[in-house]
Amino acid sequence: MPSPLDLADLPFLREALLELVLLAVTGGVLGAWIVLRRLAFFSHAAGSATFPGLVAADASGVSPTIAGIAVALGYAGGVQRAGRGGAGSAASETARDHGEATALLLVAALATGVILASDVFESGAVVDRLLFGTLLGLDTADLVLSAVVAALAAAGALALGRTWSAVGFDPDGAHALGLPAGRADLLLLVLVAVAAVAAIPAVGALLVTAIYVLPAAAARMLTASIRGLVACALGVALAEGIVGLYLAYWLDVPAGPPVAVLGALVCLVLAAVTKRAAA
Amino acid sequence: MNGTAVRVEQLAAAYRGEPVLEHVTFEAQEGESVCVLGPNGGGKTTLFRVLLGELEPTAGRMELSGRPAYMAQTERTRLDFPVTAFDVALMGTLAAGRWWLPPRRPERDAAAAALERVGLAGVAGVRFGELSGGQRQRALLARALVQDAPVLLLDEPLSGVDPASATLITGVFDELRSEGRALLVASHDVESARSFDLVLCLNRHQVAFGAPAETLNRAALEATYGHELIVLDDGGGTRAVTVQHHEHGD
Amino acid sequence: MDVLDFLVDPLRSGIDRRALLELALVGGFCGALGFWVVTERLVYSAESLSHGLLPGLVLAALAGAPLLLGAAGGALVAAALIAFAARDPRIGPDTGTAVAVTGLVGLGALLALAPDSPQRLEELLFGDPLGVTDGDLAAAAILLVLGGAALVALHRPLSAVAFDAGGAAAAGLRPAPVRLVLLVLLAAAVGVAVQGLGALLVLAVLIGPPLAVRHHARTPARAMLGGAAVAVLAGSVGIEVSFHAHSAAGASVALALCAAAALGSALRPSPGWARGGAWQRSRRRARALPGR
Repeated sequence: MPSPLDLADLPFLREALLELVLLAVTGGVLGAWIVLRRLAFFSHAAGSATFPGLVAADASGVSPTIAGIAVALGYAGGVQRAGRGGAGSAASETARDHGEATALLLVAALATGVILASDVFESGAVVDRLLFGTLLGLDTADLVLSAVVAALAAAGALALGRTWSAVGFDPDGAHALGLPAGRADLLLLVLVAVAAVAAIPAVGALLVTAIYVLPAAAARMLTASIRGLVACALGVALAEGIVGLYLAYWLDVPAGPPVAVLGALVCLVLAAVTKRAAA
Repeated sequence: MNGTAVRVEQLAAAYRGEPVLEHVTFEAQEGESVCVLGPNGGGKTTLFRVLLGELEPTAGRMELSGRPAYMAQTERTRLDFPVTAFDVALMGTLAAGRWWLPPRRPERDAAAAALERVGLAGVAGVRFGELSGGQRQRALLARALVQDAPVLLLDEPLSGVDPASATLITGVFDELRSEGRALLVASHDVESARSFDLVLCLNRHQVAFGAPAETLNRAALEATYGHELIVLDDGGGTRAVTVQHHEHGD
Repeated sequence: MDVLDFLVDPLRSGIDRRALLELALVGGFCGALGFWVVTERLVYSAESLSHGLLPGLVLAALAGAPLLLGAAGGALVAAALIAFAARDPRIGPDTGTAVAVTGLVGLGALLALAPDSPQRLEELLFGDPLGVTDGDLAAAAILLVLGGAALVALHRPLSAVAFDAGGAAAAGLRPAPVRLVLLVLLAAAVGVAVQGLGALLVLAVLIGPPLAVRHHARTPARAMLGGAAVAVLAGSVGIEVSFHAHSAAGASVALALCAAAALGSALRPSPGWARGGAWQRSRRRARALPGR
């Protein structure tokens, strides 16, 4: 077993560590809202939908950040318009109703990405990297994006948290309070979508939920206030991110899979244990 | 406006191109209570949405002495959302603007006072989903009270409420009226409409408006409720029993 | 080149011939079953199940066992885990399912990417129609025959429950066992189809065909037959494209199925056919009646 201190000593691991810490900040702050507003599927879909765009960008030299963000914004806007009323009705509760077209869209996105990668651009190895993340391939642009997203997520949650809560609790009543519910929810969707793009280099397009949903879901087992949820989700995300990174280094796999398995285990065990304690 | 809290003239509204409300004309003074009767889909909630400014009317005019406060039906709220009764009351302070700031002392005090007024001071820290049906309605009422509005729009505030809560809530209504506020209460309960100052009957258009004694006659009730109504003549006058329809989900 | 030659060339290749046969068999059943998957709102479950069985597939590949076994085992575990997680009221079914599926997909990737395992992950994710074995063909044939027979035998109960579950229950037909059979058929279909399309793309063969015929079929029977036909056709187109353009076979088939759905949805028939015809109309009537 390698020494955990390597995470701080080795340069490439230091970058990976910093990246995961930044993603964990978003995972805590924004992840709490993703769980509260039922946006888990949306965050996963935003990651998967971006996949073909990133393949094309990777091969053609366009900045993947820009390509990814463009797709993310388009996806968020499309979901908002389809929902006609914000995250409360659009991406979450009616995810099952919109599920058919969205599910097929995601399949088409994945299939397109695969064909682009293996046959058009002949860059097969990029598929694994984009789907599950990488330890070695992180660069400064990724770190900067993650830092910006973390800052935006924190600022957004501070300014819009009360509104997101009011809308999530009672969409009709929130409108009646004169809140800019539609715009606040659009901003939430945009933040989540861009955050998904930021997570792709480290954990992969298929596993963005590993850092944005699983820690917050586990935190929800431990606390039932919004403020507590944000704080707890932050702690769990940081812990899982760092331990997951260590496991990835040890097993020589990308960071996504160990963080996902760890996150699911923690959440499910907590669910079982706390349910028994409550009952 | 000299004491007029709400005035509506020939108001019409449509939803997705389909007209849902027409020829609505009524007026309520400060301190008056109006019972809005009508079947599901008859336009009660639509009228409220227009008065709140959420829906643009397709015709007519309306005047309000101030921004109304709205008390929603509990069915539309999420019971698993982790907010306490206090949090719910506090949401009402968002209506004052500056929603991007965290709540300040005066706002917290107002929320606490509102909870006190509806008798929920003891359960302020309990999660909304764990409250009883009557307590939940009272929490939503507290959210409306905090807004200190001259007009209150209340959507079926007594549905599914235990008798003790109902008494408390109607007590608060009387207090609000003596404070000079106007109340518009959407309801399914025709009998209770008799205790209001005014009654407005809606069935996609205005069927009748006026004092209960004149308005709640057989013809008006049948025009309002159609097949949903059973009207009993018991010699001393008509008594109406509504058959309430709930939309079962798919 | 002669157009006929162009179309027939893949049939000259033994590999592609077998791929075409596999996809025809699988598509025939899944295209029909898909109608019920969509009607009974099982799309999300189908997607979660197909993604969640990845670790089963990987373990089967590592052990050299038939993929069908891995898919079956993986589907069982996934179903159980998703059922447990989705039932927690604190997070809700959307988040719960995400927890279970993310963990399972991560586990599958972990097992597949650990250095001393064979690198078959892409085939497991995106399918390998050209690598179809005799066993796979046999399984697909059995699925079509037995599954098809089940759909025919259950046609009336399925229609009754889908049209109006409450009314069916009142008439003595309990929806729960009917839905359970549907889920079992779904799991079997996913397990067999995953060889050709992979865990991530198999949904296309279940959802694409019904969406393609949704506005054109007037009865469930026609929707099922139409779906089967669309699936077989799209599968053939996908293999043709993959043969001539040298693109990934599984992904090409999946895209063809998605394209069929898009085309079918866009080509709405004239208003005289009243948005889907008799089936949809009567369902809407049933929903709109008071007291329901």
